[in-house]
Amino acid sequence: MESRQKTALLLIIAIAATGGIVGGVMYAVMAPTAPEDTIEIYHWWTSGGEAAAIEALIGEYEALYPDTVVQSLSIAGGAGFEMRVKIKTLMLAGQPPDTFQIHAGYEWKVFYEAALLDNIDHIWTQTLKDVIPDVIEDINKGPDGHYYSVPVNIHRSNVVWFNYEILTDTGINPATLTTWPAFWAACDAIIANPNYTITEPVAMGEQWTAAHAFEQILASVGVDVYEDWINGDIDSGTATHYPELVTALEIYDNLTNYMNSDWSVLGWDSAIARILAATPSAAFAIMGDWANGEFLQAEWDYNVEYGTIAVPGTGNMYGLVVDCFEKPKNIDHPTQVDRWLGVVASKDGQDAFNPLKGSIAARTDANLALYGAYQQAAIADFNAIDASATSYMFPSVVHGSGAPEEFNDGLQPLIGAFTAGSATISATATAIAALAVTHSTAFTRVWDLDGV
Amino acid sequence: MKEKRKRSIRILKEIFSRDKLIIRLIFFTCIILVAYFVYYFIIWNVIVSMTDWTGLIQTYNFVGLENYIAMFNDPIFWTSLANNFIFMLIFIPTSLIIGLLLAILLDQKIRREGVFRSIYLLPFALSFIVTAYLWQWMFVQDGVLNNVLEIFGLGFLDIRWISDPNIALISVSIALVWQFSGYIMLIFLASMRSIPVSHIMAAQVDGASGFKLYTRVIIPQIKTSTFSAFVILMVFALKAFDFIWILTDEGGPGWATTILPITIYKVAFKANMFAYSSAIATTLLFIVMIIVIPYLYITYRKRR
Repeated sequence: MESRQKTALLLIIAIAATGGIVGGVMYAVMAPTAPEDTIEIYHWWTSGGEAAAIEALIGEYEALYPDTVVQSLSIAGGAGFEMRVKIKTLMLAGQPPDTFQIHAGYEWKVFYEAALLDNIDHIWTQTLKDVIPDVIEDINKGPDGHYYSVPVNIHRSNVVWFNYEILTDTGINPATLTTWPAFWAACDAIIANPNYTITEPVAMGEQWTAAHAFEQILASVGVDVYEDWINGDIDSGTATHYPELVTALEIYDNLTNYMNSDWSVLGWDSAIARILAATPSAAFAIMGDWANGEFLQAEWDYNVEYGTIAVPGTGNMYGLVVDCFEKPKNIDHPTQVDRWLGVVASKDGQDAFNPLKGSIAARTDANLALYGAYQQAAIADFNAIDASATSYMFPSVVHGSGAPEEFNDGLQPLIGAFTAGSATISATATAIAALAVTHSTAFTRVWDLDGV
Repeated sequence: MKEKRKRSIRILKEIFSRDKLIIRLIFFTCIILVAYFVYYFIIWNVIVSMTDWTGLIQTYNFVGLENYIAMFNDPIFWTSLANNFIFMLIFIPTSLIIGLLLAILLDQKIRREGVFRSIYLLPFALSFIVTAYLWQWMFVQDGVLNNVLEIFGLGFLDIRWISDPNIALISVSIALVWQFSGYIMLIFLASMRSIPVSHIMAAQVDGASGFKLYTRVIIPQIKTSTFSAFVILMVFALKAFDFIWILTDEGGPGWATTILPITIYKVAFKANMFAYSSAIATTLLFIVMIIVIPYLYITYRKRR
């Protein structure tokens, strides 16, 4: 009896002590120590130019609202994946962050469907709509027709970067590389050029880089093919049912012949470094235009030492990688977030952010003088493509906007396995089509890229 | 009545006698924290695995074993499981053998033993994230490993390491063996040092030396620590995550280095199928149990 009483008493004391300690610590950690007028902004921009860019954007905000304390919280890794894990756990814990960076569209669908995002139609004034191209406006809309995010920038995905010296020395005019056969011929010529010891002219990086390249190739086969793909309509992958998918894989397969065999251990930046090296081991790389920062860092001049072309077959297209911010529900500082979204959407905000980030403004009225040589060319392309009826913008799948997150997640290892040679063309085509079937209910958007 | 109060006071006095109180408080505090943060969530995980919870939408409808049935029909689950076992088959024996050899080498009463011990142990002191990035550089085409092969005239092999799905798991194992064998060495060395000198001397008097001394006298006596090392490696091999996640970019190329923990993480946070992910996690827990419970049982029985 005595010992049982003793145990019971001890247990009570222990629970009280544990509760006290844990509760105290939790209170100390979670108590709102920050001042009331504050805003927390989550993002994954940590490297050189990116970090400077978000600082500049925050600077714009602070200049307008000097009393607000801005907490810039960055979590790098996996093109934002690691940060999204944190955001998801915060949301689940009922402590939504004030606002966070995300790729526009499908990437925030998971939050939208759980009714965790607030509609921000009031940010999307008519003046804003007028300067933002329709496809980009569309990406920021939810299936219910309301707006849930504002874009801060646009990166172009369908870019081939090249080393000008190698091309000139080999006698290749980059402007002629508008078709895949021309591109293969150029690769062969570079391999044959005795002045260089290049055996693998196309530098490729880890799995998502490969999937990124595949996505551009699929667009090169035709905008309607790409549209069907991101609408989840390529759901039968045999040559007879959807020959264009097989064609894209054949082109990609040919590309692997010109790729470095150690692709899977290289980060995208290490792949670009192969073009930049003193004795380059590659001449080309397919990568989004965040790669421009690598060339700038090496102090290379655009159109002198390095240059760009659109991925062959996509000259009249602009592959969209769009970063945006949104407003979760039940946040502590809604007014501050509204102001933040206003700054993000503004011309001044975008012109402060984008020249440093290497992207272009999501608006068609950017101040060209602020941007570098490559970006000026990109802006010209962007505006021309926006104005032309036979040119198209397409949202990236690998970078979160074009197709559901789970579809993208399944796609990347499929392309990885194909690149590594452990799957055939027809097996990969079938698997990609099967992926669309498996996740058919997740395709909640109907894209209309060509206005037909 | 008086009697009762006296007794209560005595109990309180006993509880609050300083030494005992502190010991008990520490003991119970641990138990409560472990019970909540470990066991409660294990049970939660098992419960969730039988619901249709998808992630941010917090509805939990009971679906029975549906997730488990889906798992058994999922080729990615089977690939991950197979990879897990292949990885264990390569990683565990190699680590044990190299650890043992290093321990035997250090046991030779060499000079500066401490320095060597530190050198061998150093990799284990490094974070997996750091070593994963280091090994990425080792594995590139013109990286350290291929250069070493070149020096030995083996350049023609042109090994693609983790870019080659056929040997990607072996490459991952090489890197992890490098990181773990120093630690295993330490376990073996400590165990060898705890063998009474009289045993070894007696064996030497009987004429055992060198190779025989080890195979007949020392190795049989470090059986227990071999078993401990085996279980440590086994459990690690089953739940290895961070190193592979970084080194092979989320278990690539394709699914060549995707093991169960990687699938669990991807299914939960990329595909937002939290309940399904919990089902795989529960299965992994079950597999770990199959290995750990006999170990605990044997050790516990021995102590008694």
